[in-house]
Amino acid sequence: MTATLTCEGLRKRYGDVTAVEDVGFSIAPGQAYGLLGPNGAGKTTTISILVGLLRPDAGTVLVGGTDLAADPRRAKAAIGYVPQEIALYPELTGRENLRFFGRLFGLPRRALAARIEEVLDLIGLTDRADGRLDTYSGGMRRRINIGAALLHRPAVLILDEPTVGVDPQSRKAILDGLELLVREGMSLLYTSHYMEEVERICDRVAIIDHGRIIAEGTRRELIAMVGTADKVELVLDGDVPAAFAKLRAVEGVVEAARTEDGSVRLIAEGGRYLLPALITAVEGSATVTATQVIEPDLEATFLHLTGASLRD
Amino acid sequence: MNPLPRGRPRPVTALVAANLRRLTRDRVGLFFIVIMPFVSIVFVGMAIGGATGAAGLPVGVVADERDPVAAAVLAELRGHPDLEVVPVDTPDGLRSGVREGALAAGLVIPSGSTRLELVLAQANGSGMAARSAVDVSVGRVAAVLEATRAARAAGAGEAQAAEYVRQAQAEGGRVAVTDVATGGGDPGGFAYTAPANLLLFTFINSMAVAAALVESRRLGMLQRALTAPVPRRSVLFGEVVSRFLVAAAQAVLIMVVSSLAFGVSWGDPFAVAVVVGVFALVATGAAVLVGTLLRSPDQAPAIGPPLGVVLGMLGGCLWPREASGEVINAIGHAFPHAWGMDALLALARPGTGLGAVLPEVAVLTGMAVLLLGGSLIVFDRRTRIT
Repeated sequence: MTATLTCEGLRKRYGDVTAVEDVGFSIAPGQAYGLLGPNGAGKTTTISILVGLLRPDAGTVLVGGTDLAADPRRAKAAIGYVPQEIALYPELTGRENLRFFGRLFGLPRRALAARIEEVLDLIGLTDRADGRLDTYSGGMRRRINIGAALLHRPAVLILDEPTVGVDPQSRKAILDGLELLVREGMSLLYTSHYMEEVERICDRVAIIDHGRIIAEGTRRELIAMVGTADKVELVLDGDVPAAFAKLRAVEGVVEAARTEDGSVRLIAEGGRYLLPALITAVEGSATVTATQVIEPDLEATFLHLTGASLRD
Repeated sequence: MNPLPRGRPRPVTALVAANLRRLTRDRVGLFFIVIMPFVSIVFVGMAIGGATGAAGLPVGVVADERDPVAAAVLAELRGHPDLEVVPVDTPDGLRSGVREGALAAGLVIPSGSTRLELVLAQANGSGMAARSAVDVSVGRVAAVLEATRAARAAGAGEAQAAEYVRQAQAEGGRVAVTDVATGGGDPGGFAYTAPANLLLFTFINSMAVAAALVESRRLGMLQRALTAPVPRRSVLFGEVVSRFLVAAAQAVLIMVVSSLAFGVSWGDPFAVAVVVGVFALVATGAAVLVGTLLRSPDQAPAIGPPLGVVLGMLGGCLWPREASGEVINAIGHAFPHAWGMDALLALARPGTGLGAVLPEVAVLTGMAVLLLGGSLIVFDRRTRIT
């Protein structure tokens, strides 16, 4: 089956600064693909290349088998792009904004009118469609922002941080809608600062840092890269050095470190189940006043691979 | 998913429709387009002599009604539906009234003479309309006089006299009208303020709507439009056409309303359309250039309209050019407004066509090419895919 979107060897430099280098991935029909990276990692540059707003110094982009550089109009017709900012006319109504984008994509008048109703229904704004955009809440604008990219029923929807500044209700509506689109066979390329969104929606994830993809795979594969050990943090009161020595000796503890504030951080296989043994081990030397167990997840993987929190 | 029917992308239509609709939602902008020009036309027009309050065109007449020729001409003038005869005591008073715009035209009928003196301001649209009506009235009197004289000389009866009248009407030109310009140049009243405000507000409002273009750039609308399967030049063209239509609509609105409400005569429609069209292109080029160079939408109304006002002042759009002096008028001709005024005032003169304003049209066309070309180059660079 032909991939909906494939990019290979993408490179973009601005003078001596490398924005992206050798970026490549492929998205199958009906697949949701996450692109994760800290600010300045190269996500937006990559997306700008994929939607035809930037010309790469090297590399190719194929949309449904069509080379974006060779036949941009045909390739672009298969892409729906949701920019990070709300790129809509605030003086126009939601419906008028959708009509504008429908015309840009060449939808005939009657088909466009029907499609606008479908999209409004999908994004849950049928009732407010004729209100001016500048009277909408941030979440409603975000939904129209996404709806504008759906009018022409693209094969792949590219979303750049689509839920920034969105209230929980609108976020849920957006994510529900995106999941529905994926079930119907649309491909997604999704970037977000919200790891839980990526974990919920995306089948595969690429982690990009300093312009390069440093890891790529399913959620399970990526988490496995940092192992299955839990992080356990214990706050101690008493003879901390003696307690630390006892904790290092507990079976299952892989790594141990003391912090300046008197707490101890451990990496332990099955750490969440080891807590009673750890508390028992320090008896006589110190008292455990607080505990925290961090299971491995995509966030931990991201932290492990990039050395930075996703929201930094 | 079912495939959607696809037609040809319509970026120009989409952009024009969206931009015009945005304009209709801008109440302040609409006020400056629909209301403000006419406020200016009326108040400035009244200040320089445009307010008459007459139902017809006021034509001042200096005449002794006991004189048979004068009586016949006055009777014809009073019977003309478009004229209102205003008796004036002296020729000087008549000239003064015409110069100040209180009278559309004036007629001096010396006793015992068939040589009449018509007084009107050059290029004054109302004056030209009055002249036309006066010519008709005087022609009819002249024909009757000539016919009567001919009938008497030939000893003809009443039936033959009618034929002589017909012949005399064809020779009516023997009663001469002398055309005298008292203004020495530009007309007064609405005939001046209407074209002046057409140029002023077409330019100012084009500059003001440049804010919408800055806003489109700031919002990322243009970038997003460029991700659609459309040629980039279509997006540029759509933005330019949007601004041109606003400028042209502003000009047409002023022409129509000033013609209907103030009796302003603009002259040869084709030539006026050419001049106004080229000037609208100049305004469009300036608007796109400003809209492309500025970074914030708030800068457009802060910079554009003041610039338009200054250019309007230099071009004679805010007050009569006679008041500005030669130096200011010379400087004004470095900018489009002065050339536009030259062309529109010239076209308001009777019998003036496009040929008479070709130099002005050529200069305006050059300015339009420079501004539009420059703005498109800058616009192209700002949105180029690199």
